[in-house]
Amino acid sequence: MAERQTVDARGAFCPGPLMELIAALKLASVGDEVEVLSSDKGSVNDIPAWVAKVGHQFVGSTELDGYWSVIVKKAK
Amino acid sequence: MASKPLFIMLASGEHEKIQLAAMIASVAAVSDRPVQVFVTMNAILAFRRGLTAEQRYHGGYFHEQFVTKNVPDAMELFEQGKMLGEMQMWACSLVLDLNHWDAEKDLVEGLFDGPAGLAKFLADAEEGELITL
Repeated sequence: MAERQTVDARGAFCPGPLMELIAALKLASVGDEVEVLSSDKGSVNDIPAWVAKVGHQFVGSTELDGYWSVIVKKAK
Repeated sequence: MASKPLFIMLASGEHEKIQLAAMIASVAAVSDRPVQVFVTMNAILAFRRGLTAEQRYHGGYFHEQFVTKNVPDAMELFEQGKMLGEMQMWACSLVLDLNHWDAEKDLVEGLFDGPAGLAKFLADAEEGELITL
């Protein structure tokens, strides 16, 4: 069954949140979702662009209280 | 279609340029783009094994903020690029010889694939895009 894990990268500057997401995806199974919490505004655009480039699935992003939740599904 | 390989020649010892090289190399490598980094001139001094961040990094308007805020360390970014993507790093044989350094013993552990000459790097770089910092 697919699982979702959360990576708290708040406080990390670019490209920290992206690198933490990639490390988490590497260990996840196909179909799993990884949620990244990031206070780095650039990651909100960077992560979907990276996901499109490498062929995973961007689920969505939500602005919360001073940070963003970005969710990615491992597709391969 | 496979991405065109990226070649980065890092010659500056300035922290900002080392940081930028590490960011470009690691992000490209994890984006399915093969990367090769050639470290030469002043830049090699920042890759000496056993240095503290204060000893390793100097220079650039953002230097202080890089070391005092939660900005990813350049050496760790290079390491992540190698671990998570296709990336090779080469130490310029000229500057190693001049400093009597051994790539395996004197440089940050696990980062370099060996010493290399400029001619080989430039010949390989003809197949891709070359950035010099």
